[in-house]
Amino acid sequence: MNINLFRWLRAAIFCPLYLSSFTPYVIAATSAATIENDAVLPAQLISVASSKQLWLKQEWLNLLHYKGYDNEASSPVDDPRFFNASSGKTNPQQELLASLQAFYQNVTDEPDTHPQCRFVARLHWLQKQLPEHLTQLPAVNCPSYIEWRKQVPGHKASLIFPAYHLNSPSSMFGHTLLRIDPVDDEANSTWLSMAVNFGANIQASDNSLSFAIKGLAGGYSGTFIVTPYYKKIKEYNREENRDIWEYPLNLTPAETERMVQHLWELKDINFDYYFFDENCSYRLLELLEVARPELKLSNQFGLTAIPVDTVRSIDNADLITDTLYRPSQATNINFLLAQLNPSQKNLVLRISRDANLIQSAEFKQITPSTQNTMLDAAYRYLRFQQYDEGRSDANAKNSFMLLQAINKVDNFQSPEAGFSEYQKPQKGHLSKRLKITAGNSNIKNTKANVDTNREFAELQFRMSFHSLEDNISGFLEGAQINIGSISARAYQDEVQLQQLDFVDIFSISPKNQFFQPLSWRVYTGLEQQLINGREHLTGHVSGGAGVAYEPWSRGYFYVLATARLETNSQFTRLLEPALGASGGLLQHFSFGTAQLELNAEQFLNEESRQRIKFIQNIPLARNHAVQLSINYQRQRNELNRYESSDAQLSYHYFFH
Amino acid sequence: MKKLATGTLLLLVSSSAFATAPGGGGCGWGNALFEGQSGPAPHILGATTNNTSGNNTFGMTTGTNGCDVSGKLGYSGKSMLASVMDEFSEDAAKGHGEALTAVSVAMGVQPADRAKFAQLTHDNFNTIFPNQDVTADQVYSSLQQVMKTDAQLSKYAI
Repeated sequence: MNINLFRWLRAAIFCPLYLSSFTPYVIAATSAATIENDAVLPAQLISVASSKQLWLKQEWLNLLHYKGYDNEASSPVDDPRFFNASSGKTNPQQELLASLQAFYQNVTDEPDTHPQCRFVARLHWLQKQLPEHLTQLPAVNCPSYIEWRKQVPGHKASLIFPAYHLNSPSSMFGHTLLRIDPVDDEANSTWLSMAVNFGANIQASDNSLSFAIKGLAGGYSGTFIVTPYYKKIKEYNREENRDIWEYPLNLTPAETERMVQHLWELKDINFDYYFFDENCSYRLLELLEVARPELKLSNQFGLTAIPVDTVRSIDNADLITDTLYRPSQATNINFLLAQLNPSQKNLVLRISRDANLIQSAEFKQITPSTQNTMLDAAYRYLRFQQYDEGRSDANAKNSFMLLQAINKVDNFQSPEAGFSEYQKPQKGHLSKRLKITAGNSNIKNTKANVDTNREFAELQFRMSFHSLEDNISGFLEGAQINIGSISARAYQDEVQLQQLDFVDIFSISPKNQFFQPLSWRVYTGLEQQLINGREHLTGHVSGGAGVAYEPWSRGYFYVLATARLETNSQFTRLLEPALGASGGLLQHFSFGTAQLELNAEQFLNEESRQRIKFIQNIPLARNHAVQLSINYQRQRNELNRYESSDAQLSYHYFFH
Repeated sequence: MKKLATGTLLLLVSSSAFATAPGGGGCGWGNALFEGQSGPAPHILGATTNNTSGNNTFGMTTGTNGCDVSGKLGYSGKSMLASVMDEFSEDAAKGHGEALTAVSVAMGVQPADRAKFAQLTHDNFNTIFPNQDVTADQVYSSLQQVMKTDAQLSKYAI
């Protein structure tokens, strides 16, 4: 359970966490103290740099990650080692002049610490700006940098987007990293390319409370980490079962080179880290801006930098040349199973439990090519299980027998899942949503047989991200995650806060004989609730867990046991608990998505509710949709019986 | 508001998520087919975290199996094989795949000889992987032996 919680949590905040054993660095050991040295600068160097006002150049501002100019500049780098001037964090001019000075420092017996070795990109750029004047520099050999560049040659780059993982819709925010490729990595091995990741450093001693608070308030630092790409493939494709999307970028070798030089300047450098905005994806945008200074990417993101949104902004800047796809192990297993009939699937499952069955007559009578598909599926399924559950002797033995059988086949073909155009994450609807609704509601007192009919208009804003019924292109089916949604409803005589959702996550993960994920829902917020004939603003925490099935393609049946804790002005108790059940059908059609859902809940205080809702969403374009929804509810307690129903027609507009 | 709201959610779901410290950040591959690879067993955090101290976070060393940070620069064939042995064994059985290519590159096998390398590991699968309990060391050593007997690939054997 801990594993799942952690995965969930980690995914929820977009970015990887690095469990850190590091101790906070000692301030002032290297940077500010060393820059006021007595090195003699060439005459005119400072005056030429000043007359050119080089510190106002975008290249310089990007290299130091400044936001704003001059007096308003500030760098998110939270590490004095990154600056040569003591005021470097907020003063681009002082930092530039101090950097020029620093490059003339005497060379010690630790050349790697010399500013020329540490600030390679800065030096390179300043030399280009001041070719006549930034001269007579002390000669420094930078052994660590030179060695590192053998590992990270840097000829071109790809943006990498690991998408969602199985039954964790919160991870549908995804994550982004960069991959730096040498020349000709395809012919050699992309596995050996280097992945560049930005993530937060957490301490093992942090408990969840301090974790959440520090993450939101900026108590964590983040650093860049460079690891071989194959480790990322293993991590995402195999351990977390997330598909990986790869986007080769059209950065030139010179632009890539500049970015890699700058990356070296960021080694072990601490940034402020915030989960939502200044996160992994945001920092990568800054790297790309160093590579190509005319890019304006990071300033497109204020409150949130959701990874897939940053992919879109990079796409919009025409940096992406292609879309490549690395399916996860689970995706490949499903792809192989889809080629088999029910009895063959069943046999695959039995083979995974006892590989000796490949000697059985039942298996041998199957055509060779289907046999291969079954061997491949059974083997991959065993690997999937082992990543999930850890190594077992039985699994290892069966896996090995299957490998031997696969090895006996000449030219064993092992096709992997492909993707359809509509699945490309960057082509999905944008993350924020505006919804305008016109509707008619009816409330009926069934005892007195009196009913009230009212028309209304409603406006809803949703911060992020995706509802089950929203335009499905580019998103994971059955995964809903909405954070921060608010709506106001206007009747003829009054305007009311209709709903304020903090979090609404719903994961519909179909079960079958191979995969047994849990389907679950958690949502909390404020909503108008019919009680005693009137709507009352109600606070609640609701959740449920259960199962889902996919009896036919793109159709999902689900049943959940639910629980709810509610507070409102009508109930005697401050917090009123309820138990209930929820079930429904979600169906994706080519023309849109339909959902039918039934809910029932019984409160401890005798209040009971039954609800039926039907939604039909029809996408008009990527960021536009219309939606029809019909709701019916029955509410009873010891005193009253009411029914309410409404019909609503909405227009949805998605934006960034 | 959004930050606050999500913070609340994080609090709801995160209790005890950090209760267990990792067996060794990024060390070992606990889920390999072959016995010799398996690392500290319950990688609660191991798979999803990295140790941020030292050069191994910046592509400075081979990184290899995550435990071995002593290896100096460059992928050695052996450490690469140990890192991806699960995938390598699958590719060797099938006769093709990216793990096979990555190991051959790390062993210095030139592009012209890589098809032969794939063929050789495929044809000698049973020699290289005699059982499910074989270790990476044994696999590497058998692979070397097999390569030595091949006219085209013997020059890459150590």
